[in-house]
Amino acid sequence: MRFTPTELTGPELDLQTEVREFLAAELPPGAHEPCLGMAADHDREFSAKMAARGWVGMALPSRWGGSDRTAVQRFIVVEEMLRWGAPVGHHWVADRQTGNVILKFGSDEQRERFLPPICRGELGFSIGMSEPDSGSDLASVSTRAERADDGWVVNGTKIWTSNAHMNDWFICLLRTAPMEDGNKHAGLSQFLIDLQSPGLEISPIPFLDGSHHFNEVTFHDVFVPDVNVVGQPGMGWHQNTTEMAYERGGPDRWLSPFSTVEQLLREAAGTPMEDAVSDLFGELAARWWGIRNLSLSVARLIDEGEAPSVESALVKEMGTRYEQEVVEKLVQLIDEEYSPESESLFERLLAQCVVTFPGNTIRGGTIEILRSVASKGLQGLPA
Amino acid sequence: MSVRIAPEPVVVDELITETAGRLFGELCTHEAVQAAEDSGGAPDIWEAFCETGFDLIAVPEEAGGSGGTLAEAIEVLRLVGYHSAPIPAAENGILGGWLLAQAGLERPDGLVTVVPPRAADGGWSGGETCSVSLNGDGTAVLSGEAHRVPWARSAETVVCVCEFDGTSTVVSVPASECTITPLPNMAGEPRDTVSFDGATGRAAPAPHGVDADALAQRGALSRVALMAGAIEKMCQLTVSYTNERVQFGRPVARFQAVQQHLVWAAQDAALVRMAAEVAAREATRGDAPFEIAAAKLVANQAAARATKACHQAHGAMGMTQEYPLHHFSRRLWSWRKEYGSDAHWSAVLGQMATGVGADGLYPLITSGTAALA
Repeated sequence: MRFTPTELTGPELDLQTEVREFLAAELPPGAHEPCLGMAADHDREFSAKMAARGWVGMALPSRWGGSDRTAVQRFIVVEEMLRWGAPVGHHWVADRQTGNVILKFGSDEQRERFLPPICRGELGFSIGMSEPDSGSDLASVSTRAERADDGWVVNGTKIWTSNAHMNDWFICLLRTAPMEDGNKHAGLSQFLIDLQSPGLEISPIPFLDGSHHFNEVTFHDVFVPDVNVVGQPGMGWHQNTTEMAYERGGPDRWLSPFSTVEQLLREAAGTPMEDAVSDLFGELAARWWGIRNLSLSVARLIDEGEAPSVESALVKEMGTRYEQEVVEKLVQLIDEEYSPESESLFERLLAQCVVTFPGNTIRGGTIEILRSVASKGLQGLPA
Repeated sequence: MSVRIAPEPVVVDELITETAGRLFGELCTHEAVQAAEDSGGAPDIWEAFCETGFDLIAVPEEAGGSGGTLAEAIEVLRLVGYHSAPIPAAENGILGGWLLAQAGLERPDGLVTVVPPRAADGGWSGGETCSVSLNGDGTAVLSGEAHRVPWARSAETVVCVCEFDGTSTVVSVPASECTITPLPNMAGEPRDTVSFDGATGRAAPAPHGVDADALAQRGALSRVALMAGAIEKMCQLTVSYTNERVQFGRPVARFQAVQQHLVWAAQDAALVRMAAEVAAREATRGDAPFEIAAAKLVANQAAARATKACHQAHGAMGMTQEYPLHHFSRRLWSWRKEYGSDAHWSAVLGQMATGVGADGLYPLITSGTAALA
């Protein structure tokens, strides 16, 4: 394990300037209600504007509608969007991981069909991994796809499916062969499923504050054509593990409370600041500087052809805990009672952080699972 | 053609890492480090270190140094920390050697040490218990006591920096003119009290930018480098130990509760090494007040977490003198307090962060000191 320091090149710095100018024009600071990191609003129009700049699916090849850009260039766009609290929700999953999975494991026909509209910011994807009886022990999934003429028939239930009620497609890990003794990773396959398919039922699971992000998705004899199987049937576990590496270690794992902190500083302008509050801004800037340097070095490693899965797991485990620590420090320091209805934007954002951030160390792999992945890597064992 | 220009890369010669690593690996055994603590020094290790020229790395050749960049000197200090080498590498080279070279003062033979500035005491590095008066002929007379001066008992020369009429002045005093009372830090490294009692030394004005603040930053950077090495080694010891120690029929590293300690320590090792290397890179290019302050604060906090995690994972064995963990954990507890506490650097950083305002906060995180201009 080695995190090599890296820094942005001239053209990369230009991209950063371009993104900042775009955001300042589209979402003037103080005049929009920032989102909290990747749990961002879905705004097809905003996604289309980003796509017009070449900033959605940007690391995908131009042959398939992408911009032939690098992981570092994507990092620059993503960090600016997230720190600004931009509404990147609609294209988020497709841009971060599904596009990569289709490029890496999909057929040319699938690439032709899915990648150009992903790069236009048109397609929203949900992820179908967890089930009522399969969470951290993901290999135990039991939603089945059974062979039929020219395709598969799916039965079972996926759960905690973010935004299935708003998205277009569903990338699912399904069991295509019975679980074998001693090799539970065999017999799993990845499918692309139209969320409008007949027999597919989407029911909300209200979030603790009553908002609607999560869903339960039930399959009643849903037909999926052969052309929607990603890669080889039976190789789903390997493909899915590769996909998870794209999920980890990026700015979405450590920037979620940034817009809240920035707003506190904005609202504090012009009034004398207590030393403890000033010191906290200093501490947070230092911690973010350190974590950002680690996270950026992971992106550079990916561009150098490495697969930094241990490094990614370490950054995600640290970054998501840090997000919670930031919120706790703010709560300790602020005298006022706050709520989602507070007059101050900072207080509204903080209230939202307090209520939603316990999920940050759970989504996309709990920190307990990440520790297991990372510590095997530290000991030189296979993950 | 890009509009924004990336600075030239700062490269550290791999040979430096290899040579210093090999030297310390051979000499800084558990027993040798313990013996240095018991006797208050390791002249043999220091002598071998000087033979490589690393004692004066980053001090310009025209000032009698070995040349090389600050980033290369920081890499050597990282290895000093990694091997708990019981030598005053920072004081003699990038601190003392730098001050003398900057002020154009002659470098006497033998070890040079530096009086660390106290945050609360403004321009005078000796603290408020000392005073200094300049004579017209380039000599200065010092009185009072300076505290926690590293390796003063072995030094030939004590260097400090002070301010006269707004001009920063470097003073170099023969240790033989002073009375030195040995005191240890928590790792048994010498942090002595120096009584000047009218000691006479040479004084020379320092160029703009070489003052107590600059020394405080450079000293903090030296500690971050040492801490980066120590945390990394502590972490490696912990991974090895928890893989060898068997309880309930399996290595304790197989238990999730223990894995948590390993992961947290590894994160802190990576974080502090990154902080040290980025801060060293920026300080090699020019002023880096944000990066150095951020690096020291991050290192201080990481030292607290990582020592706790590594000790917990070691159980009772880590609490013994016979097992080497303490060479690293006790140094980290000491270095954490040297050249600026958490509170000091948080306050410095807080001024910077609130100074740039809401719209400048993220640019400060991405561009560091450059965003302060």
